[in-house]
Amino acid sequence: MSVRVHGASKVFSPGTPNEKTALKQVDFALEDGEFAVVIGSNGAGKSTLLNALAGEVPIDSGEILIDGRDVGSEPVYKRARLISRVFQDPMLGTAPELSIEENLAVAARRGRRKTFRLGLNRRNREYFRERISILGLGLESRLSEKVRSLSGGQRQSLTLIMAALLAPRLMLLDEHTSALDPRAAELVLKLTSDVVTGEAITTLMVTHNMQHALRFGSRLFMMHEGGIVLDAAAEEKSGLTVNDLVGRFHVTDDKMLLG
Amino acid sequence: MDFLDIYLNLFTVSLVQGAIFAFPALAVMIPFRMLGLPDLTSEGAFPFGAAIAATFTVAGFGPVLSLSAAVLFGFVVGAATALIHLYLRVPSLLAGIIVLTMLFSINIRVMGKPNTALFDNDSIFTLALDADGGEPLTQFALILALVLVFLAVFYWFLNTELGMALRCVGANQAMSRAQGIPTHYYIVAGIAMAGGFSAFGGAVMAQHQAYADVNMGVGVLIVGLAATILGETLVGRSTLIRQLVAPVVGSLAYFQVVAVALALGLKPSDLKLLTGLFVLTTLSIPIVLQARLPVRTGSRSRR
Ligand SMILES: Nc1ncnc2c1ncn2[C@@H]1O[C@H](COP(=O)(O)OP(=O)(O)O)[C@@H](O)[C@H]1O
Ligand SMILES: [Mg+2]
Repeated sequence: MSVRVHGASKVFSPGTPNEKTALKQVDFALEDGEFAVVIGSNGAGKSTLLNALAGEVPIDSGEILIDGRDVGSEPVYKRARLISRVFQDPMLGTAPELSIEENLAVAARRGRRKTFRLGLNRRNREYFRERISILGLGLESRLSEKVRSLSGGQRQSLTLIMAALLAPRLMLLDEHTSALDPRAAELVLKLTSDVVTGEAITTLMVTHNMQHALRFGSRLFMMHEGGIVLDAAAEEKSGLTVNDLVGRFHVTDDKMLLG
Repeated sequence: MDFLDIYLNLFTVSLVQGAIFAFPALAVMIPFRMLGLPDLTSEGAFPFGAAIAATFTVAGFGPVLSLSAAVLFGFVVGAATALIHLYLRVPSLLAGIIVLTMLFSINIRVMGKPNTALFDNDSIFTLALDADGGEPLTQFALILALVLVFLAVFYWFLNTELGMALRCVGANQAMSRAQGIPTHYYIVAGIAMAGGFSAFGGAVMAQHQAYADVNMGVGVLIVGLAATILGETLVGRSTLIRQLVAPVVGSLAYFQVVAVALALGLKPSDLKLLTGLFVLTTLSIPIVLQARLPVRTGSRSRR
């Protein structure tokens, strides 16, 4: 079992009028290489769950185990050795002032000790060129360009390659295609699926798009008011339709329907 | 005719000034551009470096060790600012003001008096050039060589794994954390380096004029800022090399402009006003350009 979450709870601003329960006794476990998709209406707690796993949000109680080790008290930068992320905002996942290859070099040492060795050399450049060419976006000939000059879709694709560069034990994707135009979103999703399944990376992917939720992944979580209200394994998932999801959980959020 | 005479007289001296101020200019650029965190410490680190170097020199440590000591103590004050900012949650500008204010007292403690004369002591200039410290042009060559050595080492460092992580922190802190970089350490290191650069500049200045004074730092920051902005206008900042060279070119150019202003009959006491106006103008150009377009259509008027 590579990832186990046990009784994770989180209340924001407890004891104030703004008190918000974001996670309520969340329990689940992911097998090695499992690709789980997370859906749920706005405010259901999806982002909080991912932030809790990454360490951006400390949980109030419960356990987060990765490969059996409790990482619940480790800061973000320590967990980074095990976890990689792609954010919703394409601007968040890369360093705009660094070149494409420098961004890749940083990702190639995710969670590792940094040294006085040069960050780029002929060998890792060659490797980066090879990895980035998978995208088919021509970025391999623009390695020394600053990331600032890339489009949102290109950045998100690069971030994904970076996230998979040092095979993580867990990959967290939070609506990572929702800021992209439909064509770019489709491209990044296909790439996601290829990378995640190709390298058997244990993954949690949040999406607002029901079609995507049904099309991708080997497992489906639906969250509601801080809890997981549906946990469909591959078999059950493949039998579900968008109408099922809407009908069974009275979800009437337009954004979810329209994606 | 008069103008040319005065300017030519000032030309070489201004080259020397420009080369020395390249150090505090770099110290302004590093936090401002590479860490995205404006910092004022260099205004205090500059006279502090001078005071430390002077004290070490008087104590007989020799010019080279005195310069090294200045760099080390410059690191410490830079780190102090960063730690105050990060752990006591004081805004970085205020943290810098607090540190540079305290440094005024510390400088007097260090020297035992508000200033120290070094006329009887060796300096890197008497050591490397000749017994009376050399001509302005050779002095300029010596300081420029030091600037280039610092730049080369710094450029190399910024391309190491550690330096790349530092630049990454400056560009995107959330992403850096997600990549496993403990951002606090790097911010401390970056501001510390800036402190070291500025202190080194102050120490070279003290050795050059054979004199250290607590008030040497006044206006260093704004000169550094003006030099950085001017340099970026001249060489741009599209690559790492350009970004590093900009404060140096800017500082050299700035002091030539100053020489021209003086040759035109302006008083030295007018310079701070002019420098301030220059920085203000440069900073406001984008705002003025932007404000022109959206004023009518923007939501600003409705708010
Ligand atoms: N940093 C925060 N401070 C206070 N409340 C928050 C914070 N982050 C999330 N919340 C609240 O927690 C709940 C869950 O939010 P979130 O996890 O972002 O939902 P989702 O990603 O499913 O839309 C919401 O009610 C939200 O308002
Ligand atoms: Mg969310």
